[in-house]
Amino acid sequence: MLKSFIKICFLIIFVRVSAQQNNDSIPKDSIVYKTNYGLRLGIDISKPIRSLLQNYNSGIEIVGDYRISKKWYVASELGNEKFTTSEDFTNSTSRGSYIKIGLNYNSYNNWLDMNNEIFTGFRYGFATFEQTLNNYQINSNPLLPSLTNNTPYTENGLTAHWSEILLGFRAEVYSNIFITFSGSYKIMISLKDPVNFKTHYAPGFNRVYTSNTGFGFNYTISYLIPFRKK
Amino acid sequence: MKKHYLLLSFIALLVSSCEKDDFCIEPVTPNMVIRFYNATNITQTKSVENLSVNPEGLDELYSNANLDSILIPLDVTSNQIIYNLSSESNIDVITINYDVEEVFVSRSCGFKAIFNNVSVSSDVSNDWIIGLTETLENTITIPTIDNETAAHVKIFH
Repeated sequence: MLKSFIKICFLIIFVRVSAQQNNDSIPKDSIVYKTNYGLRLGIDISKPIRSLLQNYNSGIEIVGDYRISKKWYVASELGNEKFTTSEDFTNSTSRGSYIKIGLNYNSYNNWLDMNNEIFTGFRYGFATFEQTLNNYQINSNPLLPSLTNNTPYTENGLTAHWSEILLGFRAEVYSNIFITFSGSYKIMISLKDPVNFKTHYAPGFNRVYTSNTGFGFNYTISYLIPFRKK
Repeated sequence: MKKHYLLLSFIALLVSSCEKDDFCIEPVTPNMVIRFYNATNITQTKSVENLSVNPEGLDELYSNANLDSILIPLDVTSNQIIYNLSSESNIDVITINYDVEEVFVSRSCGFKAIFNNVSVSSDVSNDWIIGLTETLENTITIPTIDNETAAHVKIFH
């Protein structure tokens, strides 16, 4: 009886040890989760929101990117805007189109086959536009009457070149449908100002601050047209 | 929950991104600077007793002051302004003619005016003003007034 008990004990120990050995030698998971590569197209919906919150007039922006590797995307934005800048002594409206081209780098490591992104990127931007000085008042001594000119004057053929860096968050909310929001900091490279006036707003660049810098925010909805999986 | 925070901070940035970033500190439309000199010793400044200054048809800018220099604005809506300068109730009239040029300053300051081909003449009655030049003539021309750093016109009395 005792002999058989000891035998059983040994057997259990052996089995347990061998079970542990089996645990150690589980083969590595060979399943690779494939993600979609393709062209992603979308529109910016922050502009309609801004037109409700601010004196933003109108604008449309189409965004697109193309995945070139696991982490890198070629990205571009195309847009057209109209914006009125109202200052103490001047009121002016900018109208025009712009294009931005650059790269995004996704620094987010996704679980399994998820497709979210925390990305940084840079862009080169170019805008061609016109600016109308709608009215202005001469900033003169308030003891005497001031001169207000209400005759609009438009200067055509204005251009702006700039560079921008951006940070964004992108989430796949449904299959192949993404929402993105991103913020950007822009530095003007060259800007053509109207004669005896200044460009207050360049399409795509937004407000031109005193130091020739600018900020931008985007909120987009886009759809990925998958070309292949890898 | 995390998404809500992100959305809230996005909206906060959106609203706060349109604050004023600059204030007008540059000089704007210059006033005409007039300095009063002694007519008998033309290198010496001389204060005017009980000086009152008003543009024709408007309120006084200075009243019963003792000053050796004054700043007077020019009318940007016109090419001429007439000032009454009185000292101890003796009124002299000076007429200023000029061209107005509009110059853009900055976003917050807007446009200023500078004045070209300025000619100043005092009436010939010479109640207390004796002359506008060192040779005591009644008219003087100034090519441009675009700052207030030095006197544009000397009045000898």
